[in-house]
Formats: sequence, structure tokens, C-alpha cells
Amino acid sequence: MGKYNLTALRVGRSAVQQHMAGKTGVLPNWVKTVAEIPPAQALVRNQPQEQQLVRQRVKTLPGSSKPQVVFEVQEKRRKTKKPSRMFQPAAIRYEEDQLRKEFFRDHPWELARPRILVETTGNDHSHYDWSRLQQPGKKLDGESVVQRQLWLLNNVPDLSKSAAYDMARREFYRLRLQEDIERRVAAEEAQATGATFGPSILEIGMELENKQYNRWKEWATAAAQMAGSRGSGMSDSPDAQGPEELLAADAPSAEEITPAN
Amino acid sequence: MIVRNVCTRQSRQLLAFNRPTRIVNRFFSTEPSADTAVQTPLAEQASHQESSVRPTESPQSGMRSTAHQAFVEKQIQKNRYLGLGSQVKDAYLPEALYRNPPRPHHISLELLLANQTHLGHSTSRWNPQNSSYIFGIRDGIHIISLDATAAYLRRAAKVVEEVSYRAGLILFVGTRPGQKRAVVRAAELAGAYHVFERWIPGSLTNGQQILGHCETMVVNPFDEELPQYKETLVDRPSLKPDLVICLNPIENEVLLHECGLNNIPTIGVIDTDANPTSVTYPIPSNDDSLRATALIAGILGRAAEAGRDRRMEQAKNKKLTFPPPSDGDLVPDAAKESVDDAAATQASISQVMAPESPAAEAPAAETASTEASTATAPAAEALTEAAAAAAEAPSDKQPSDTPSQDRQ
Repeated sequence: MGKYNLTALRVGRSAVQQHMAGKTGVLPNWVKTVAEIPPAQALVRNQPQEQQLVRQRVKTLPGSSKPQVVFEVQEKRRKTKKPSRMFQPAAIRYEEDQLRKEFFRDHPWELARPRILVETTGNDHSHYDWSRLQQPGKKLDGESVVQRQLWLLNNVPDLSKSAAYDMARREFYRLRLQEDIERRVAAEEAQATGATFGPSILEIGMELENKQYNRWKEWATAAAQMAGSRGSGMSDSPDAQGPEELLAADAPSAEEITPAN
Repeated sequence: MIVRNVCTRQSRQLLAFNRPTRIVNRFFSTEPSADTAVQTPLAEQASHQESSVRPTESPQSGMRSTAHQAFVEKQIQKNRYLGLGSQVKDAYLPEALYRNPPRPHHISLELLLANQTHLGHSTSRWNPQNSSYIFGIRDGIHIISLDATAAYLRRAAKVVEEVSYRAGLILFVGTRPGQKRAVVRAAELAGAYHVFERWIPGSLTNGQQILGHCETMVVNPFDEELPQYKETLVDRPSLKPDLVICLNPIENEVLLHECGLNNIPTIGVIDTDANPTSVTYPIPSNDDSLRATALIAGILGRAAEAGRDRRMEQAKNKKLTFPPPSDGDLVPDAAKESVDDAAATQASISQVMAPESPAAEAPAAETASTEASTATAPAAEALTEAAAAAAEAPSDKQPSDTPSQDRQ
């Protein structure tokens, strides 16, 4: 049998052979189907094509006054692959990878914002128009800036990468500020019209913590009293502090912990 | 607070026990549950039980009453403005894949992309035999070519449809946690059989032992049972499926090996770390995403449904899409012969696992069907089987059906 077990790929043939040899009485129903729709070629390896990065730019060339669209092809890398890696898949690269890397290097906390990764139709990108930063159905995030910067690079004449970055970033900051203000105004409006926002998660947590402190204080007071009454008979050194004093020195009072609500 | 309400409603029997409801308290209480020397254990239990039954009445915590009040106000507010607001269109409905799976002609690259079929495994885990299905490397994982997935999925759907058209027994297998619903739904659409827990090794190669006690039935061309053949089926060998569809071939190596030994065609979802030669018809796709496997199972289920519909159409025109049973192969029980409906000329046998058998508790149910005729009609036989938990025993016709001999 060797390295490969091709039994599964040859079921149709072996069914016919077994039937001809008299091993099986009735030819299975599926034999005709498998003969009509044979399994595909297996174990074929093709040499993957190296992807080329093509950049679109709008430039004013030295001879002319009008800007025109120029396509720049990134040079192929000189170094050849090792023969053993010849059939390995190639990396998938896009121009915006570098832009994305730079943006998130400068804004690492953008990565901490929640993001929707679920695709609904797989065709969402076709509804986006990156001549503006905001898109219907897409939350404003770092990816918007990257796409906007790429659009600027592709469409605005004589724009450098850093200039495009600055333009996209400025729009982004302005929209983020606007979002903050909108959120605040919405909360104020809601409260003005009778909405109530319950205690926040932090407040609930603080209350739970306070309750624990109070329980502990109650227990510790009782324990200290018992220890004090037991110990008073044993030792009466004048330097020893009473348990109540120790407690008062160590434990913060519940009133101090309670946050101002 | 809220959570405790839900919990109380759904676990009344827990509260009915004569013991502290530990589970409820541990996971759903907003009270600190630490035991201290101040309270006696009895008092603590009583207060906990009481509080979990009537959360609104315990006055001891100001915090809970604030939160509860806020919750109540929020509910009131929500109900007041229930009719207002925008309507969400074209939203992602996770249930849609199960309730109304797409049909084979709906396969498109966008659909496959949205269902994550393109995500492979880490590049270090690849099986180089899959290199023709791989589009490239991105962020350290292999990306499966959507073109390849679509082409192979269409081919597999065609095979499923044809096998179903020819009254073959189809078995859907998906034994990973979470695949149960997709597998059952596909089998339901296809009128086929399913395994969603463990495949019992030997169900095909040693089926007489494992599935021997399973019931069989004879059905007519419209897949209706013919009870008059019950007794003739007693000493028949257990049946084997005509097509096995496996959603996780890596875990079901034994199943695929048994299918190879028994010459049963298989369809499998092949991720970048699986062996594509272990199945007859590979479908290169992500097998770790439940969404991806649910899509593939749904499409194949729809394909089988289409095949079955075509077969029923033919049956209405009094045409058989499978060879009729051979003469004298199936004879109705003597006692019932006179009662036999003359119209029911064709029948098929199915095995159904007895519900009280231990194996039936496993998700597997096995059925096999054999087309047969009454004594008066020319008899023919088409064997089909589906096993939920198991499969068939080696038949008498194949006495040499041992793993070592049958391997090719």
C-alpha cells in the first residue's frame, strides 16, 4: 500500500471489481452515481504564484501639467525560494497592511474597543465608499482610517503617505470628539425626560465590598472582645494595647470606604 | 437580582430539596457568601433560601433594593416606548442556517466567506497533501481557497442528490460538541440518518454484534412502512449506509477506515490539517467553525432533500429509481398475506434501533432499508442503511470481511 491509502478514492472501481469477481451479489445503487461524478484529482501540488503588490497613485509627471493615474508594481524579490519550499503556499499581502500596522502602532488602544467580526452577507465591503470616513452600517474604528487613507493615496493627486495619514487621522479625531459629545448630550436628554440609569457596575462592586468590610468588622470586634476578656486575666502588662485600640488603628471604618454616591 | 429570578423560576426542584441550594447561591447570589463566626450556619441557610425564593422582600440589603428598583424602572420605561424606534433589516440571524439552510444553487464565494469556510489551521499544522486547496498564508494561518471549496461542495451536493434519488441510505456524522443540531437538521431534511455522539467502532465491520438487535422495516416507494414484512427481516444481516457524510474526519478516522473496508463512499470536510485521501469526496473547508460546518451540512441536506423529492415524483408516476427486489427475496408474513395490499408492490426495509436499547440513548439510531416486493410482484432489493449510533454487521455474502483482507 505504501505511503498513501487510496481506498476511499477507489470505492467505485473496487465495488465493480468485487461484483465481477462474485464477492458481492448485488451491485450497490451508488456505483452509477460515483461513475458519473468521479472523485476529483487528489494529491496534486501546484507551484503557487507569487503575489505582486500593485499601487495606484495619481501623480503629476514632470512633462505634463495634468495629474494622471500611475500604477506602480512592487519589484519581485531577488532571493529565490529554497527548493524544499517551492510548493509551500505564498503569503497574502495587501498595500494597506503597512498602513494598518502604522495606525495601530500609534493608537494601540483602538484595538481595545469592541468590534463586530460577524459577516452577514460577505459582501459588506461593496456598500462602502471611502471618499468619506463614515460608512452606513459600519462603526467608526481604526480600519476606517486605514481604508480612508488608502483611498486618499489612490485618488488624490500628489499626496504623500504621511500627508494622507494626517488627513485621515484628523477626520477621525473630529468624528470621535463628536461621538463623545453626542453620547453626553443623549444621556443628559434622557435624564431630563425621566430616564434613570441604575447603579453602575463599579458602584455595585463597591457596595458588595463595603458589606464585606462591615461583616468583618463585626466579627473582628466580637473576636477582639473575647480575646481581650480571656487575656486580661493572664497578663496585665501596662504597655500592651487593648484589642479595641489595635482594631481601630488597623481597620478603616466603613464610612471612609463608602464612595460618595 | 434579575438573575436570581430566572434561576428560581427554572429550578424549582432545586429549592424543593431539603438542603441549602448551594448551586443557586454560589453562582447567582449577589450576597457575600462567606461564612463567618457571627452568624450561625442555620440562620445563614434560612436567610439564603428565603432570599432566593422571594428576592424582593428581603430588607437587609439596601444595594439589592436599589438595583431592583432600577431594574423595575427600566422595564417600565422599556415597555412604555416599545413601539418606537428603528427596524433592523438584513441582520445576521444565526438560526437561519438551521431553520432554512441554503440550497446548492445558492453557493457563492460571498456565502462561503461569510460563513468562515476559508479559515484554515496554523501553518505549522498543515498537511501538505492539501496544498492544492490552499490560497495563501495570512497572519500565520492557511487560507483555504473559496473557489476550491465552492467547486468541491457543488460536486459533493450533486453526489448526495443522486444517491438520495436512487434511494440510498445516507448517514450524517458530526461528533464535535455543537454539531448536533446541524447534523440532525440535515438528516431530517434528507430523510436520512445521523450520528452526533461517538461512532461505535466496529459498527460496520462487526455490525451483527453491535446492531444485531436493531429493528428493521420494509418501506414502499413512498418511504412508508409495510408492517407485513416484519417477520421476514429477523435473520437478515444488518444494513450498511450507501453514503457517509462526515463533518469531522480527523476525529472519525475509525469510521472512515471502516467505510473503506466496506466499500462505502464518503464525503468529508477537510481542513488544512486533515488527510484528503481519507474520504472519497473531500470538501476543503474550515471544520472548527460551527457556522461553517452547519452551512455545509445544511447544503448537503438540501441536496438530499431535492433528490428525495425527485424520487417521490418518479414514484407517483409509477417509476422506480432503483432496481426492484429479486424474486422471492422478500415474502410477506404468511399470516398477513391475505391482508396484503396489492398496490404495495415495492417495499424497503429499515432498521430502527429499539428505543429501550442502551445504544439508543446514544444519539445514534440505525436504519436500513431494503426495497422489496410482495410475493406477487417481481422482487428486488435495494439495501440502504443509516446508523445513528452504529452500523451494520458483515453480511453473510462477505464472510472475508476483515480489516486486513479487505484493505486495498
